[in-house]
Amino acid sequence: MNKKHQNVNISVPEVVTVEEIREEINDVKTFYLKFDERENGDFGEFKSGQFVMCTVFGRGEFAASLPTSPENDRFHLTIKKVGRVTGGLHELKPGDKIGIRGPFGNGFPFEEIKGKNVIYVAGGIGFIPLRSSIVHVLQHRDEFERIILFYGARTPRDLMYQAKLNEWKNTEGFETHIAIDNPVPEWDGETGFIHTLLKKSNIPIKNTVAFVCGPPLMFNFVISELTEMGLGEDCIISTLERHMKCGIGKCQHCSIGRTLVCTDGPVYTYRQIKTLGEQI
Amino acid sequence: MYLIEKNRVLDIAVELRKDYDLFGPIIEPSTKQVFFDSIDEINEIRLSAPIPSNPPKLIFFPQMEKIISYKYDKVSKNVEIEPVFNERARALFGIRSCDLMGTQCLDRFFLGGEFVDEYYRNHRKKMFIVTNTCIKPFKQCLCVCTDSGPYAREGYDLNLTELGEYYLVEVGSEKGNALINRMSLKKAGKEHDNEKIKKINESIGLFDKIAVDSKAWISRVVNRVTTGLLEEEFWESIGKQCFECGACSFVCPSCSCFNIEDVRTDGSGHERFRCWDSCSYEGYSRMAGGHNPRKPIEDRRNKRFFCKLSYSQSKKYLRPGCVGCGRCAWVCPGDIGLPIVTESIRREFHKKADSYE
Repeated sequence: MNKKHQNVNISVPEVVTVEEIREEINDVKTFYLKFDERENGDFGEFKSGQFVMCTVFGRGEFAASLPTSPENDRFHLTIKKVGRVTGGLHELKPGDKIGIRGPFGNGFPFEEIKGKNVIYVAGGIGFIPLRSSIVHVLQHRDEFERIILFYGARTPRDLMYQAKLNEWKNTEGFETHIAIDNPVPEWDGETGFIHTLLKKSNIPIKNTVAFVCGPPLMFNFVISELTEMGLGEDCIISTLERHMKCGIGKCQHCSIGRTLVCTDGPVYTYRQIKTLGEQI
Repeated sequence: MYLIEKNRVLDIAVELRKDYDLFGPIIEPSTKQVFFDSIDEINEIRLSAPIPSNPPKLIFFPQMEKIISYKYDKVSKNVEIEPVFNERARALFGIRSCDLMGTQCLDRFFLGGEFVDEYYRNHRKKMFIVTNTCIKPFKQCLCVCTDSGPYAREGYDLNLTELGEYYLVEVGSEKGNALINRMSLKKAGKEHDNEKIKKINESIGLFDKIAVDSKAWISRVVNRVTTGLLEEEFWESIGKQCFECGACSFVCPSCSCFNIEDVRTDGSGHERFRCWDSCSYEGYSRMAGGHNPRKPIEDRRNKRFFCKLSYSQSKKYLRPGCVGCGRCAWVCPGDIGLPIVTESIRREFHKKADSYE
């Protein structure tokens, strides 16, 4: 393995400035960040599908998957308020400082999926890591066949990245299926749990990969639907979430069976996930 | 190879203390318990004492350690972050071969892989290690089953072996050589090496008689824990006996899991600490929001045995994770130390094999 990090103390966070904060949905905010010590404030090189460790000074540190695409995208994190540390992050105002370590993890395997149909299936905040991949794939539109998005949320108010969604709805060569669980008067789009839309939508199975990310229940429904339709277990890609402390494969909190999500993952194929030897 | 008179062997410790913070085995007077601890008086050192209650890892992988200190001024938005390293030169005098092997496991784990653990590396880089051959085993020992004793083969700076009125001193590194050169010791010959081999063989022969607490043929179960052939009920029965105290992890020379927490200091700053953690704790894998993929105790408990015994996990240490010190069996209130569980796994497979006949 490559030991390029040997001379940098990867355990010390870099200071970043919160430039702008946008409310996505209830309890979920997007934080646009600028690196104080880096040229142009940019994060530098990273891969779609990787994650960072984010320090809220005085509270602690947590792992966050990157919604930002590596090219031509403003660096940001989209974070749901779930505990003490993310709660502290949500209290911050533009101009405040936080710490970032990373990038960590393997990232999505774009080289291996060139020339294929790409299907995205996202549920709730599982959309966050997939946003990065979608932006990347659309920037390299010629390298892929059909690109289809299925994004499900509970209500219209639970749909994140509204501006991006509106842009994508009108993007040529990008098929979008955005659905909410139950019909409501102000919604004229598709309704129903996201896995039920898959069969109805005549998706390609041959020469296809699916990126699936969402809560465990949704994940299991979608996987069984996709495999039933004939998609191979190697062709389903997901990114896993675990309690993490170090991000560099040492604290072991993110171990699942024989792998560590921080260094071996967080991106796995469904075949890999099935053989990890533990529930996800 | 050199010889030093038995009553002069602590002169090596005296010499070491000139350049290093000295640690060695001592007997705590009130409880008669053996600890591996910092040495104030050279004659406190008890070289022939049984295996210390604590593994030497706490010197270079402390139970609690400050790794970063930071100050964030919310008004001026000024941030100061400083990593905190411990680079003191320290000498471990008289560790046993099992503990040396545990240290080597930790070296391979913290210094290997994609990232190097800088905190660990700083602890280790100026360390001097003097090992002590076990010329007889102790009650709980099982190093002959785990290929980590009763003598050290490599990885020491100096190795001592008691030969009657003398100690045989073997040099394992440049550092060790430099120290010995300052001491004008008598050269040892081939006959002393032969005597050492004889002592080791005698020691191995004494395991059946003395090391009666634990026996566990690790090699027989290494490929069995992860085959899926062990029934879920087996792990449930092990899980039922676990007190979730974490003692097994803390006394283990090769256990390396840690947690990280930010703590407020007296002033306006904060400090980031890391501290030992145990895979038996419920909070170990619990995520923010409460989802815990490993909630039932048997899910957590078998994790330790996978980590120590499975083939895939042994790749991170380049050997099985158990080094045969027997401490986990010694401290476990639920009687599920690693040797006992290993033996149970073996019996489980024997039962299976019998049922096929």
